[in-house]
Amino acid sequence: MHTTSWHSVGPSLDECIKCNICTSYCPVSAVTDLFPGPKYSGPQAQRFRESGQPDTPDQAVDYCSGCRVCNEVCPTGVKIAELNARARAQIAKEKGIPLRNRLLGRNELMGRIGHYAPRLANFGLHNAVSRFLAEKVMGIARQAPLPYWSTDGSFGAWFKRTQKERLHARQKVVYFHGCATMYYEPFIGKAAVAVLEHNGYEVIVPPQNCCGLPMLSNGEFAAAEGYHQRNVNSMAGLARGGYPIVGTSTSCTLTLKEEAPELLDMHSPDVTALKMGVWDIFEWLRELHEEGKLRTDFRPINLKLPYHAPCQYRAHRVGKPALEIMALIPELEIPESHARCCGIAGTYGYKTEKYQIGMDVGEELFQFVREQGDDVTMTACDSETCRWQLEHGTDLPSRHPIEVLAAAYGLYDLETRELTSQSNSM
Amino acid sequence: MIDYLVMGAGLSGLMSAYAAVQSGHRVKVIAKGLGALHWGAGSIDVLGYLPQARDAVVRRPLERLADLPANHPYTILGPAAVQDGLDKFMRLTEELGLPYYGAEAAGENLLLPSPAGALRPAFLAPAAQSAGTASDDAPMLIVGFERLRDFYPELIAENLTRQGIAARAVKLPYELLSDRRDANTVQLAQELDDENRTERLAEFLREAVRPGERIGLPALLGLARHAQVVTRLALAAGAPVFEIPTLPPSVPGIRLFNTLRAGLEARGVRVEAGMEVIEMNAEEGVIRWVASETSARPLRHSAERFVLATGGILGGGFMSDHTGRIWETVFDLPLTTPQSRSQWFRPAFLAPDGHPVFQGGVRVNAAFQPVDAQGAPCFANLHVVGGALAGCDPLAERSLEGLAIATGMNLLKE
Repeated sequence: MHTTSWHSVGPSLDECIKCNICTSYCPVSAVTDLFPGPKYSGPQAQRFRESGQPDTPDQAVDYCSGCRVCNEVCPTGVKIAELNARARAQIAKEKGIPLRNRLLGRNELMGRIGHYAPRLANFGLHNAVSRFLAEKVMGIARQAPLPYWSTDGSFGAWFKRTQKERLHARQKVVYFHGCATMYYEPFIGKAAVAVLEHNGYEVIVPPQNCCGLPMLSNGEFAAAEGYHQRNVNSMAGLARGGYPIVGTSTSCTLTLKEEAPELLDMHSPDVTALKMGVWDIFEWLRELHEEGKLRTDFRPINLKLPYHAPCQYRAHRVGKPALEIMALIPELEIPESHARCCGIAGTYGYKTEKYQIGMDVGEELFQFVREQGDDVTMTACDSETCRWQLEHGTDLPSRHPIEVLAAAYGLYDLETRELTSQSNSM
Repeated sequence: MIDYLVMGAGLSGLMSAYAAVQSGHRVKVIAKGLGALHWGAGSIDVLGYLPQARDAVVRRPLERLADLPANHPYTILGPAAVQDGLDKFMRLTEELGLPYYGAEAAGENLLLPSPAGALRPAFLAPAAQSAGTASDDAPMLIVGFERLRDFYPELIAENLTRQGIAARAVKLPYELLSDRRDANTVQLAQELDDENRTERLAEFLREAVRPGERIGLPALLGLARHAQVVTRLALAAGAPVFEIPTLPPSVPGIRLFNTLRAGLEARGVRVEAGMEVIEMNAEEGVIRWVASETSARPLRHSAERFVLATGGILGGGFMSDHTGRIWETVFDLPLTTPQSRSQWFRPAFLAPDGHPVFQGGVRVNAAFQPVDAQGAPCFANLHVVGGALAGCDPLAERSLEGLAIATGMNLLKE
């Protein structure tokens, strides 16, 4: 049986000075009584948790969305979000994991099943009857913004199909696409490949599976460990070989870098090699830019594009590289959101009992977008689930910054989300 | 490449960033977390007590700066620079819509009620606090709320009365503030941003207040719409309304932080939290870069000049271990702080002379560069501001914010 050590994260609770800054910034406890706040559920309840203890002292920790805003603002470095994630795993161990959470934890499996017959799958999932049943039987909120399977084939199929057109070069970069790009939004991956190739890099897409985050969020640590280990087996060698591994999904890259090793106590040399080799794609492009190697042959984009850096991106603690790079695009106006979280927090906002909390949390962000005026036709955000939530809450389409960058290079159409003909003749 | 990298997002860091960007420099602020301003009362204490006379409140702080020791940061700056920094702060906060005021008798300290009903000397206070000054003889109605922790109107009123200030107390239902089972002051302040809630509270205040009284409330009168909330309550109640700061988290402090951060961002300065500096690189006495901890590789920040605004032992700029060793966390700068636990504290918790552990810090020269034992600068392109400085006791002197503003605002002073 999988056991977690309580030593690497646990001692940080002694740094807590009870200043309540985390509770003041917690977007969940701001809108519901069901979650008392990070200080109470984290460092305080932790004092009553022991490995092997029969009952957990705090069931409310299940209402922590895992957004990590508490970690961001804590002045003394307490790993509050990790304490909470481990506490949720403890509850899962004690009480078992509901089928719903097992399913939400397996979006890769869902993605794969659906992508064989996407139109049928979309119809099967996105109709009033099945959403009603999913809510009643499983507890998946009927209004929640579940994704649509790509009817254009998976990203993997496209990448394989276009191998002959792909750039082959001495400089190579590894792309981690994640499940959402693979099955729901292959155009994100196409935009990423176009941008990387435009900068003279050959793109390698090694075998990969789900990063494991949905399982970590739902307390299924043992399953997550298997997923992470397979990714390590596939990519540690590439990382050791000096190939940067870039991802467009901010929560996947965070999991490969930090969440999986830390929460699962996986610290083998291979795990660490992968951790150190992974980059958010804009984090890496910013590095390229600082070395003077990023192409800046941008076409102007005359657009007002409100941008939200998702909480899982801010948790990388690398600043807002996507914002910094997009700021290089002429005529693009980017109002910056300071909203704490969009509310969806991975799979949190899909759950019937948490849907409304997620929407109430997201209101801060939706309001920010509304305040930007009627001339706003589109928003930007790096994380897939956050974009879906943002579209759900604002009725405006939302784009990944990599799509914006690809468009600025003239390789991509922001409206249709398709590569332009120019991109094929590179 | 940026010109100034400021480490620390407390008042001294934000003031340094402001001073640098106003001079046309490219500036970035990074911080481990948010702190300092979130704990303070939101007022600006310049000098409340002198080391040699701890039991007498300083009446006119700027006139007493000459009585401070030669190595005190105020002495190093000189009174004109201190005054200039404070003036700039007042103009800035007024421009940003969160005006600060001093005593009616210019140059005097305000005496403002604390949540224990003690009178605390502050040189500047946000508009909503300055109306609580003890120099005004209008009697006070101290309003608390059932179930609101750490704010007891009876205690405040009784203590004020003992000090000769007419005050009485009333407790209103918690439901006026929130329908939540429990909420902290920041969440309650956000609830009061809602106009309907303000109106309901105003009705109760109108009922409770007697003619001629002013109304003291816990500092939770709105966050984003603070000025409107205070105005509305005062108009509806027909009486002046003032705030008394609460225990942390401090709503007035958070308002000041949000206001200054927005003002800096409007000037193109990014303020990034969650970035702890863990590494530095210097060549021949010049700092090339510092690196902050991330989810994977450390992130390098290069700059022409660096500003250490990480605070002292309370702000997180210094760390200690069980032996009593205390060190500065980024550059391991030499400290004047006692390096033995037995010398940290005096026996009495509220010792009038303060505690040595809070009095030590980084020694600097006239340019606020850290210096070694021989007085030579440790690095050519490093400045130290705020709570990390040696030669002062911000707690016992009640000078924390004044030091932050004076040293930060004068960052580029020749």
